[in-house]
Amino acid sequence: MALEFISPEGLRLDGRRPAEIRQLRANLGVIDKADGSATFEMGNTKVIAAVYGPHEVQNRSQQLLDQALVKCEYSMANFSTGDRRRKQKGDRRSVEISLVIRQSMEAAIMTHLLPRTQIDIFVHVLQADGGTRSACINAASLALADAGIPMRDIVASCASGYLNNTPLLDLNYLEDSGGGPDVTIALLPKLDKITLLQMDAKLPLEMFEKVFELGNKGCVAIANYMRNVLLENTKDLAFARGVVKV
Amino acid sequence: MLQSKAFMKKTRRGQVVKVVREHYLRDDISCGAIFCQSCEKESACLSSSAPNILIVDTNVTLHHIDLLENNAIDDVVILSVVLEEVKNRNLSVYNRIRALCSNPMRRFFVFANEHHKDTFVKTMPGESPNDRNDRAIRSASLWYQKHLGQGPPILLLTNDIENKRKALQEGICTETVQSYVESLGRPELFDLVAQVCDSSLAEMDIEDSRPSKKKLIYPEHRPMSEITSGLQQRIFHQGKLRVNRYNPIEAYVNSESIDEEIIIYGRINMNRAFEGDVVAVELLPEDQWKEGNTLKLIEDEEDEVEEKVGLAPDSVDAAPTSLQAKPGDFGSKIGSRTCGRVVGIIKRNWHSYCGSLEPMPMPAGVGGAVNALFVASDRRIPKIRIQTRQLGNLLDKRILVAVDSWDISLRYPLGHYVKTIGDIGDRATESEVLMIENDINNRPFSEQVLACLPPLPWSVSQDDLKCNYREDIRHIRVFSVDPPGMYQIREANQMIEEFMLAANISVAEKILKHYPLCALLRRHPIPTPKMLEPLIRTAAAVGVKLDITSSKSLADSLDNALGNNDPYFNKLIRILATRCMTQAVYFSSGELTPPEYYHYGLAAALYTHFTSPIRRYADVIVHRLLAAALGLFKLPAVFHDKVQLNSLADNLNFRHRNAQMASRASVELHTLIYFRNRPTDAEARIVKIRSNGFIVFVPKFGIEGPVYLTPKAKDNNGEESCKNSADWIVDEEQQRISTRDGKRVYMVLDVVHVHIEVIEPQPNRSKLVLTLLK
Amino acid sequence: MTAAMEKWRAPGELLGWASEYTSGRGTYVWNNKIYASVVGIEVVSQPPVAAETKGPLIEVVGGKRHGAVPEPGLVVTGKVGKVTGKTASVEIVCVGSRVVKEKFSGIVRQQDVRATEIDKVEMYNCFRPGDIIKAEVLSLGDARSYFLTTAKNELGVVSATSVAGAKMVPVSWQEMMCPITSQKELRKVAKVV
Repeated sequence: MALEFISPEGLRLDGRRPAEIRQLRANLGVIDKADGSATFEMGNTKVIAAVYGPHEVQNRSQQLLDQALVKCEYSMANFSTGDRRRKQKGDRRSVEISLVIRQSMEAAIMTHLLPRTQIDIFVHVLQADGGTRSACINAASLALADAGIPMRDIVASCASGYLNNTPLLDLNYLEDSGGGPDVTIALLPKLDKITLLQMDAKLPLEMFEKVFELGNKGCVAIANYMRNVLLENTKDLAFARGVVKV
Repeated sequence: MLQSKAFMKKTRRGQVVKVVREHYLRDDISCGAIFCQSCEKESACLSSSAPNILIVDTNVTLHHIDLLENNAIDDVVILSVVLEEVKNRNLSVYNRIRALCSNPMRRFFVFANEHHKDTFVKTMPGESPNDRNDRAIRSASLWYQKHLGQGPPILLLTNDIENKRKALQEGICTETVQSYVESLGRPELFDLVAQVCDSSLAEMDIEDSRPSKKKLIYPEHRPMSEITSGLQQRIFHQGKLRVNRYNPIEAYVNSESIDEEIIIYGRINMNRAFEGDVVAVELLPEDQWKEGNTLKLIEDEEDEVEEKVGLAPDSVDAAPTSLQAKPGDFGSKIGSRTCGRVVGIIKRNWHSYCGSLEPMPMPAGVGGAVNALFVASDRRIPKIRIQTRQLGNLLDKRILVAVDSWDISLRYPLGHYVKTIGDIGDRATESEVLMIENDINNRPFSEQVLACLPPLPWSVSQDDLKCNYREDIRHIRVFSVDPPGMYQIREANQMIEEFMLAANISVAEKILKHYPLCALLRRHPIPTPKMLEPLIRTAAAVGVKLDITSSKSLADSLDNALGNNDPYFNKLIRILATRCMTQAVYFSSGELTPPEYYHYGLAAALYTHFTSPIRRYADVIVHRLLAAALGLFKLPAVFHDKVQLNSLADNLNFRHRNAQMASRASVELHTLIYFRNRPTDAEARIVKIRSNGFIVFVPKFGIEGPVYLTPKAKDNNGEESCKNSADWIVDEEQQRISTRDGKRVYMVLDVVHVHIEVIEPQPNRSKLVLTLLK
Repeated sequence: MTAAMEKWRAPGELLGWASEYTSGRGTYVWNNKIYASVVGIEVVSQPPVAAETKGPLIEVVGGKRHGAVPEPGLVVTGKVGKVTGKTASVEIVCVGSRVVKEKFSGIVRQQDVRATEIDKVEMYNCFRPGDIIKAEVLSLGDARSYFLTTAKNELGVVSATSVAGAKMVPVSWQEMMCPITSQKELRKVAKVV
């Protein structure tokens, strides 16, 4: 029996309309020890990111002479999905997502300003309910900005899909497992450039335009939220330190 | 506004997990009333002129769907909580209610109460899901009352006593379905109100319903938990129940967990399961397994099995079969088979059945509700008890009845009348009945389908001419040999047939070559020697030797089977041969091995249907395969999915069989109508010998039926009495029956004269009988 | 407070045209436009004299700064590790006045110890393991360490312990004395003003 992802009244399983994203929540500076850190929540998907660096490259052979080395590690907590199980750190999916996040962030960080250094990004999923990849990228973005690392733009990411003949924005776990396509986009909003475009399953070409447009709009909305969070947080810090001195 | 729904769930593997889901509450959900000032009106349909705006609860929707579908009921609000519950309990009712809601002619509105911020209800600790849903329904009703203050009054329809009481306490106007329908003052609606053995309804007084005096006829069904654990432990087996059409007290269950077919004998063992239900079966201890012959015929007289006069069968499927030997027949002794009994019903397959009421005397009073017994045309369905106020109207009509419930204390299930089809015996009515029985949909095509056609007037367009895979052959002289009124040229016809076979075979080869795993082909299974045994025996008795080593050898033997001075002899032998054959079926090439692709009847290694796409869906499928094989079009997705393709082939076979049965039933119907008031004498040939008579075939009319030499009598046990047949002796090998003194002898293929007439032993129960003329 | 007049910026925000402004700290140029690259307040000021372009300087400052990284020209403070005939390895602990989270490796080569008589330098007489020195980053160096130089008066050893274990006092640009034993030891001493 095929699940009805959108009711004829236009409501999804959790009560959202097709073009609505889930509730967003973000916090900066949650890990004191790290240079930069952030948590990011999209609905029930909760992710924490920590950034260490820039510091000396540990493995000399990997050192890049003209730019910084960006390393990323993605992992999921045992308790993040419905069934508790020991997650292999080096399993295929984690490695793939680590690579994907690294590539997206590398495009945004101005690595040539910090040659021969290394920047480590650690992302850890605390609760997974669909869209973990996007939440990780958003969290990493905030953590990098929190660490003061120079970036071209903040990276905002969102996933969209196509079920019951309707493009849907920000799929949760149920909708993700519905068998339809899953398009993840990471966008540099002010520069209007894509740093990541990934898709699972199949989608007719005519539909792709619509789904992509929707994902784009989602990213822009998320970027606005992230920008507000960043500015709020930094303002608080600056006022706490007194009058800003150059 | 975000709420969170958390609940525990058991996964398929047996693990218990906690599921947490988001639940957003909205403030932009409209109430659906056209006259409402505050909500948006895009999909609104509830009108201000309605006497009431009804809100129905789940049980009312499930049991009284027929009432809701009636045009008298409109302006109904279906809450999303009710819709969800209905979907989980009965998918067909869910589809029907969805159809009602999307039908622009009716005024049914779906209100998403679960996501509306004012009507959302959070589960209280310790509250059962049913209670919580009832609370949600009441909360929504209350909201509607406040929101649509100035419009028609809101009425909550529920048959649940608790819910009703609490609703009245909260100030919601509520009524039971009975009282509401009564208040409408339309007696014809009353029949549609279902009979359910709820705790809330008064018990029917068919049997003495006081609990202490209730006679429990059937064993209780086991609870679901016991069934699931039993299935896991392989004590119980799950499968679909298939009732024997010719012997309704016998049924089979095929289950994946056991190799053999399980047989269920007797009403008690069937335990209220219907044809098509998914049941859980427990095997009986081996000492209770029945042997074919020793079975006593049935518990009561009403389930008598008779052979009837009908169209001559043209294949094994059409001929009556029965594992249990009929009285007086010498079927080979079958060894004991696995027997079982139904312990629970996993999924009910109840829908509406057509048939008529059992004749009964009219009640003394007028206008009161009367209990009548409904007999379905499909013999596999048990009789159904209904209550009706219009008995006089219905006695001579074919009606549609739906089943509601079957308590353990009731001999027959309870149901309710849905609609009348027409008079019994009326040609149009009976034709419609046999269409319904064979699941043939003859409604006009929907707008959507018709929209696929190009608009008229149509002519060949420029694009069509330019298309590189189409060839213009309008300049070639083409003959059509079929149109009505054309003089048929036999040789032309035969030649066409040869070409048709050649075309089909060559297409089959092409598509198989390109798509060895998903080509749709047609096969004719080779009949087993066992199936051909009766034919060989009969032929041997009249001195004809048939060689069944191959289809060619059989065809040759049939050609040589000629009787002296008997022009009809050969035809008869052929008729006997045909009824041993199986039906040809469609299949997907990936499912069977190449040797099994063989088509026995056409003696072809490969065959498919290609030449008639305008009248057969199978041909359309093969056209698509061929188009893909030639590289003209992309292969449709269905061919990549093995499961879907198989179900497609199964459906083609199912529909084909149904169409054939409907066609045969229609011919029988018209035969009956023909012979009504026109009794006739005709020549007949004996085709099979029985202990108390024989089966004859009447060549002039193409009908076949039993002729009894001794009157059918029954003794106290209900068994067909064999005492009288001691006057007649049967020689099985020689296929003849003769009197003890040898004065009268009848042999198979002998000529006899019979009298054909239609009699009506019971009102509205006409049947055709053949009697022997001296 | 000047809150209302402050213009807070996040990375990627457009600040102005490259033709009108000069890009400073916390900004970058792309396609003739200047964008912010960190979170902070936009500050416009007079261009430094040495700048190529004439427009006012636009910077984004005030936000969290990233960890300190040694760059050529900056003065770093470090602890001497190994001393060989030709080199002295240094563990860089501070860059300017900012402490680094993780230590960087630097190296002082024989020719970079002092400005004069560079081929007569005896490494052991300039640095000893455990000395705290102030040095200037010459370049990014080789694969292993940054190249440091102490060839200025204000660069060199700022703190050292004697063989007796006491903190020594600088005597001259080449000597330090232990206060307890009054023994002198050879070091390349920084002139602390």
